[in-house]
Amino acid sequence: MGGLIAYLAGAVAGLAGLGAPRRPHRQARSRVEKSLCHWAFGLALAGALLEAAAAAAAIGQPAAATWSLPFGVPFFSWTVRLNALSAYFNLALGVLSAAVSIYSLGYVRGMEGRRNAGVLGFFYNILLLSLTLVFTAANAFFFLVAWEVMALSAYCLVSFEHEKEETRRAGIVFLIMSHAGTGLLLIAFLMLGQAGGTLDFAAWHHLASRLPAWEQGTVFVLFLLGFGVKAGIIPLHVWLPAAHPVAPSNISALMSGIVIKTGIYGMALVFFDFFAIPPMWAGMVVLGVGVVSALLGVLYALMEHDLKRLLAYHSIENIGIILIGFGAALVFRALGHPALAAIALIAGLYHTMNHAIFKGLLFLGAGSVLHATHTRNMEEMGGLIRRMPVTALCFLVGSIAISGLPPLNGFVSEWLTYQALLGGFGSTQKLARVVFPIAGALLALTAALAAACFVKAFGISFLALPRSEKAAEARETALSMRIGMGILAAGCVALGLGATWFLPIFDPITEQTMGGRFSAMLIAGNGFVLSAGTPRGGTVSTAEIAAMLVLLTALPGLFWLVWGRSSRRAAGPTWDCGLPGLTADNQYTATGFSKPIRMIFSALYRPRREIQAEYEVSPYYPTAIHFESEIEPTFEKRVYDPFLEWLLRVSRRLRAVQAGSIHAYLAYIFLALIALLLFGVRG
Amino acid sequence: MHLLQNIDFLQAPEFGEKMITLMAAFVLVLQIAMVGQRSLIMNIRVFGTQSFLLAGIAAAIAWYNHAPHIYIAAVMTVLIKAILVPILLERLVDRVDIRHEIEPIVNTPLSIVISGGLTLVAYTVAESFYHPEAGPASLGHNTLAVAISVFLIGFFMMINRRKALSQVLALLTLENGIFLAAICLTYGMPLIVELGIFFDVLVAVLVLGILVYQIRETFDSMDVSKLRRLRG
Repeated sequence: MGGLIAYLAGAVAGLAGLGAPRRPHRQARSRVEKSLCHWAFGLALAGALLEAAAAAAAIGQPAAATWSLPFGVPFFSWTVRLNALSAYFNLALGVLSAAVSIYSLGYVRGMEGRRNAGVLGFFYNILLLSLTLVFTAANAFFFLVAWEVMALSAYCLVSFEHEKEETRRAGIVFLIMSHAGTGLLLIAFLMLGQAGGTLDFAAWHHLASRLPAWEQGTVFVLFLLGFGVKAGIIPLHVWLPAAHPVAPSNISALMSGIVIKTGIYGMALVFFDFFAIPPMWAGMVVLGVGVVSALLGVLYALMEHDLKRLLAYHSIENIGIILIGFGAALVFRALGHPALAAIALIAGLYHTMNHAIFKGLLFLGAGSVLHATHTRNMEEMGGLIRRMPVTALCFLVGSIAISGLPPLNGFVSEWLTYQALLGGFGSTQKLARVVFPIAGALLALTAALAAACFVKAFGISFLALPRSEKAAEARETALSMRIGMGILAAGCVALGLGATWFLPIFDPITEQTMGGRFSAMLIAGNGFVLSAGTPRGGTVSTAEIAAMLVLLTALPGLFWLVWGRSSRRAAGPTWDCGLPGLTADNQYTATGFSKPIRMIFSALYRPRREIQAEYEVSPYYPTAIHFESEIEPTFEKRVYDPFLEWLLRVSRRLRAVQAGSIHAYLAYIFLALIALLLFGVRG
Repeated sequence: MHLLQNIDFLQAPEFGEKMITLMAAFVLVLQIAMVGQRSLIMNIRVFGTQSFLLAGIAAAIAWYNHAPHIYIAAVMTVLIKAILVPILLERLVDRVDIRHEIEPIVNTPLSIVISGGLTLVAYTVAESFYHPEAGPASLGHNTLAVAISVFLIGFFMMINRRKALSQVLALLTLENGIFLAAICLTYGMPLIVELGIFFDVLVAVLVLGILVYQIRETFDSMDVSKLRRLRG
């Protein structure tokens, strides 16, 4: 209860930033604006910290704390509850938003005089508040209200730079898709509400499994699609790579870090709370969606040269990885392996937290780069590691984490996912015996491609020579921005090395959903070793890997001390192929780097390229070369365009109904009324 | 009042029920008369008379159910619907200077047949609300059926008429139906709700009056079919 009060105080503190946006005059306002802006983000920070503390306190509590406003209408109570699952998501929200708030203090300084940062602060706080409510609402209507407030405030934040055509378009796409998703959710909630006679989540525990089979299927699919839009599963992802890049970078970090996780939260709620045990095929569908999203997400990310779009596609990939965990958990439950299901669920949830932290970090890093170079195009960056060392280091940490390399946090959760999938290899069910190895193999492919992608992202942006004037003039960012990134980078390291200490946090969640505590079986060797908990599973210790890494780094130094001190040192220029001096033009480009993958997967990408060479004497001595290359946006072209065309065609036909005549409209209403009256009498 | 209370037959609920049913029947007759009546001015006056009868029903209900606040509703009905609104509308008719003929879309005999059909629909619907076991306080389903018929016929008139002004009139009779249904089902809503409804009617008449005038100015006609040009 105390935790809930603290969290409400945090939300109120966040709301107090509301005063920020109202200032009329341009000249006089800049000072007021600055301080109010700082207040807005400062209060958001305070709220976030309180919230994280409250969530951390509540997560160990056995019973869910609930609290509701004394007024309300039937079916609609303003009830919030903080159980293990919502506390966990709130913890992720609190940690991420604390770091992002600190970062924003410096970030909005770059907008002074140009934009109204107060508006940003206002919607930022509203977004945080609505996110908290989404994670804690305990009534379907209340949940939908919070959900819509979240979508609308996110829309306002995405279209913050609304003078650009691209931004407006992205905002509209986001809004439309988000509302379509909410419509599906509404149907599903109403179906459950009708079955349960109430809209309170507390009464919906295992309710869906009591429905007839076809209704179970319908509800499941509706929830999967409705929450999937927000989570960004393929093929409902198209809003995501459009909306994330155009938003201000601190907002992108929140969008990718936590807003899309509301979809994951919703799925966790439905799959593991509303359903007792969903049917087998449902788990297979989730697993399939996860695999497809992960693989296609990373493949599209590899082709991007826009740093923020690249990160956005990686969000799709990571949502896919989380859903692989969830899907595996569902299948294991249907097969009757609670321990494996728990590992898979823990893997998915762990990855949720990890992705919030490292993707937040990466977006903040991209924001710093954008702030310093004023471009999102990687081909115009380069050499930033010398000019922005702290940003570069933080981005590197994030890259290692997202690539799933030990010893950081991404590795731990991906390893757990593999272990869960490996556990399914020995399954006795025929379909599962085929599906799990394939999913495991594709997950491995995904992870490898992600690593390749971040070699490209980090290498092209930060290493070698600057590729443009802008990159050459870049400066390190403000202190608060570096602190914000530093916190998240530290989080990546802590969640990687301290995995065994973090795992017990999942005990209340698995107890709530699967009726047991499973973290103990994942921890071995005095708490330093992670174990898969099954006889055939593996063990790994991130702490030992880290120690090895430190030792191995020291090894060359040791060699040098022993043997190398007497040897001669020679320094010379890099070989320049006989050309007069090395320039930035000699470097690998992002396009060049991803060329092999573009060729291997050309069936998917359908690349189109155009080369025009101008020459005077002979084609072997061109004076200028124009190169253009693009890949086909498959989903937009193959799925969305035909659908839109169909929609327009139907709408045109339906327009006959809309004759523009008042008499006709009145007649429609009249006939509908009489029909309803007669129907009411019969029924 | 004391004088009235001394008259015996006025106290008998059976007599009250008959009186109310009688007045309700007249309301329905007037409604159908409005469908058949082509003169705009006569239409407005019929509406005034209907509202007056409505006030009578309200007063009777107040008397037999000892609900004094319905008297206020009755007085308001007389003042606003039976006097003020007809005056406003007649002045509007003079001001916009239109032909005083209503041109319905469906011809008059057919319109009256349709109105009869709608009355049947209304009786079917009202039947389901009729619970004889509810005791003598129940006003019977006749009044409710009349209320629903008035509502449906009013709606039909709105569809059937071309001119904005005659549609306003239809809307007002439709509102009369709602009022009748409200008082005979609930024996008077809370006063504040009724005041709100009266205010609503008044404002609606004013706004629609202005709208009618503007449509007339803009399109040189009050035929709302011409608004068709506004569609995208």
